[in-house]
Amino acid sequence: MDRAIIVDRLVKNFEITEKRPGLSGAVSSIFHPQKKTVRVLKGISFTIQPGELVGFIGPNGAGKTTTLKILSGLLYPTSGFTQVLEYDPWDRKHEFLKQISLVMGQKNQLWWDLPAIETFKLTQAIYEIGQKEYEKNLDELVELLGAKKLLNIQVRRLSLGQRMRLELIAALLHKPKVLFLDEPTIGLDLIGQQKVRDFIYDYNKKTGATILLTSHNMNDLVDLARRVIVIDEGKLVFDGALEELVHRFAKEKIIKVYLSSQEDIKKLRTIGKIKKIAFPLVTLAVPRTTAAVAAAEILQNFPVTDLTIEEIPVEEVIRKVFKNEKISFGL
Amino acid sequence: MNFIMWRARNVIQIVLVFFLWDSVFSDPDRVVFGYNRASILTYVFGILIVRAFVLSARAVDVAGEVSSGDLSNYLVKPIDYFKYWFTRDISSKALNLVFAVFETILLYLLLKPPFFLQTNPLYLLGFVISVILAMFIFFVILFITSAVPFWMPEVAWGAQFIVVMVVTEFLSGALFPIDILPRYLQNILYLLPFPYLIFFPLQVYLGKLGAMEIVRGLLVSLFWAVALCFLMKTIWNKGLRVYQAFGR
Repeated sequence: MDRAIIVDRLVKNFEITEKRPGLSGAVSSIFHPQKKTVRVLKGISFTIQPGELVGFIGPNGAGKTTTLKILSGLLYPTSGFTQVLEYDPWDRKHEFLKQISLVMGQKNQLWWDLPAIETFKLTQAIYEIGQKEYEKNLDELVELLGAKKLLNIQVRRLSLGQRMRLELIAALLHKPKVLFLDEPTIGLDLIGQQKVRDFIYDYNKKTGATILLTSHNMNDLVDLARRVIVIDEGKLVFDGALEELVHRFAKEKIIKVYLSSQEDIKKLRTIGKIKKIAFPLVTLAVPRTTAAVAAAEILQNFPVTDLTIEEIPVEEVIRKVFKNEKISFGL
Repeated sequence: MNFIMWRARNVIQIVLVFFLWDSVFSDPDRVVFGYNRASILTYVFGILIVRAFVLSARAVDVAGEVSSGDLSNYLVKPIDYFKYWFTRDISSKALNLVFAVFETILLYLLLKPPFFLQTNPLYLLGFVISVILAMFIFFVILFITSAVPFWMPEVAWGAQFIVVMVVTEFLSGALFPIDILPRYLQNILYLLPFPYLIFFPLQVYLGKLGAMEIVRGLLVSLFWAVALCFLMKTIWNKGLRVYQAFGR
């Protein structure tokens, strides 16, 4: 098997009934329902190798979650071809379901009124995990996530971050080969996010599981994903290495200069766009092609103590993607 | 706690029906619709037991899960959703049964109605089979109505309410014995699945039916069990195709 996930020209439309406001609107909706077709995915294609950790990004409503739901067999694709671990997800064969896991940051599957350990035991039964393997996996996961003290506490008493860690354990007890993570760090504080992130990274390294993750959290992607897939309005706009995304998008480079005197500081404007002045540091944006020339010019004409040329930070690039700016990717 | 309230509701309902018929038959010699005081009161107590088996189904929650999208949690796991609920149903029925027996004894001691104990093993066997079929039919009916929110997510309880509360309660014999209805209505009803939920098992228990009638009744309910099961599978397959997995 050389492809863990294959998606080819995937299309998904939703039929929704529009509700008009007010009582008269509600009544007329019953007799003349206004059906509207929402095209969530407009033919996206990509493949993922076994063991890859891929970040799936795009603004709200771009179709990320819908794609994950189709790949885990929840939604029926309108057209197109999908294959995960050589199964058609829609068939929901038990052998297939035993090898995947879908974790949604906003949905919880733990039993609210019971300690998490009860849910884990149920999971053991559902996935038919042998006792030895179950104990081994559980110990490992509890260790990795530092959740030992949480196991016997009623779930409703736990904080969101604690619960998320337990959700992850529940989702991974059966050692899925393919893992779909939808916003795994949503709503967590910084420490919680870091814990979950470290865990996902370790899990991918240790087990070689294929992971497809959506997130709004830049750090998730920068820390975890070597490869990103960007979709916008149901279309795939970029698929490649994270650095390449920066390269393609960033038409400018950043020059940071430390000056020894404030004189002439305004004159820097003639060389590039001044982004920030925090004397002695001045940050400039200059066109990528002329960055070297600009740097030489600064060194010649200004009292420079130090100078660096940098790429635009990944975060900023992704932020622009999220802000739904029209980006020419040159595709 | 929910469970205790539900049981309390059950008892109150029985007491209500009991006193209704008790007052109708206040004169012990009066016979209405072929029922005298003793037989109608036995019927009422029989309802308590059969209801506990048949109409107490956890699967009433399925529609809510379809509507809220909680169904997704099960679909991504290697479990059969139908069998999962069936198992839950049976365990809940076992619990209900324990309580129903207890309540029946309590009410029996309080109200001291004449009660008829069936001793013929063949009738008892027929009773058990018909109750098992009834449980299955009711379960499948619930699953069929639970599929409505696939198309109309906001109607989580509406369809359930109409079918379960109104149609089933009324037509199954849970409120009154069906044979007090006009003959032609009865004939139509016997072709539908509803009388086989409560009325038919009770009639078998009370020994009111001949062997042929029992066999015919069992065959009709078997037919419905299979037909409804098939219908349910078809509807669910269609429903899952338009399922939108709400709640993100």
